[in-house]
Amino acid sequence: MYDVVIIGGGPAGVAAGVYVARKKMKSALVADSFGGQSLVSADVQNWVGTKSVSGFELGKMLEEHLRAYESDIDIKIDLAVKVEKKKDGFAVTTKSGETLETKTVLILTGSSRRKLNVPGEKELDGKGVVYCSTCDAPLFHKKTAAVIGGGNAGLEAVLDLLPYATKIYLLEYSDALKGDAVTQEKIRADKKVTIIFKAKTTKILGDKFVTGLQYEDMNAGKTVELKLEGVFVEIGAIPNADFVKGLVGFNKFGEIIADPKTQQTSQPGIWAAGDVSDVLYKQNNISAGDAIKAVLNISDFINKESSTGGYTK
Amino acid sequence: MKNIIIYSTPTCVYCKMAKDFFQKNNIQYKEFNVAEDEKAREDMINKSHQLGVPVIDVDGEIFVGFNRSELEKAVLGK
Repeated sequence: MYDVVIIGGGPAGVAAGVYVARKKMKSALVADSFGGQSLVSADVQNWVGTKSVSGFELGKMLEEHLRAYESDIDIKIDLAVKVEKKKDGFAVTTKSGETLETKTVLILTGSSRRKLNVPGEKELDGKGVVYCSTCDAPLFHKKTAAVIGGGNAGLEAVLDLLPYATKIYLLEYSDALKGDAVTQEKIRADKKVTIIFKAKTTKILGDKFVTGLQYEDMNAGKTVELKLEGVFVEIGAIPNADFVKGLVGFNKFGEIIADPKTQQTSQPGIWAAGDVSDVLYKQNNISAGDAIKAVLNISDFINKESSTGGYTK
Repeated sequence: MKNIIIYSTPTCVYCKMAKDFFQKNNIQYKEFNVAEDEKAREDMINKSHQLGVPVIDVDGEIFVGFNRSELEKAVLGK
């Protein structure tokens, strides 16, 4: 039985992995890739100690750092699909069918992209509906595209499209953009970009490929149709926590509630940190720090258990 | 030896992961940059009926995106 199973391979997962390995705790880490959400970033400039690094390189650096401790931690390239409470701990089941028994679990699974949930979105995913703008923006050379969402991710998608698309619509649900002022200025200065406020996307049109988009103009109370070939969805993230539903406490955003001092969840023996938790700021450096905080608290928990013959709260 | 083609863009991380996978396993592949190569872009769309990268063609079997276990099966026979 493991002392701790860490789930996640982003900055939080790797930070936790390095710490548990150095503490010689009997540990495993389950992750299907390394790097987390920054993996698709063209340039990360705020990872402390590194002036500039691509998300891909950052992922490699993290994996290398973790693998330096390979003899002290079992690294499973896999996906956790279920965590179950057992009599004396937990069982973590993976996609490949492996079951890991452990005294404690540290959940560091981050979040993934929120979907629009409108007709046409699923059917036309990869056929003009795009969730990775840095990947696919070049495919919209001489085409018209819409970006949904006026936060930083949406503004960056517009920037990714600018060298390629002939026309870009930026649709924002509220009446103001939320992204960085510098990026906003750049976008507003470009004649190719039309910003539409109070726009609620209702339908993505197309048969084989996207041919248009329908939105509700909430100011005028009418439905508008745009002819275009691409829809870039950039409307935030949802926590990756389905596999522990019913086991830990959640807030209304679907984030796991974690004590900010220790990262403990409502379920004794389970800790959570990073974007999957209800941390106020979603940042690589914060996730790494909070994950380490969790490891230190887990270490205290394990030591206390072994010295007293049982943990009582 | 299998004939492998990858359609990619220079900024696409999943394309890099796929190429890394091929290199680590000493597998030769041909790459087309569909950000610039219009003909390759058309080929890619015709093969995959998709507008997204990477598209990987393994002896005519088409993979969209980078799925390590699927590729291992197709390429390494695992």
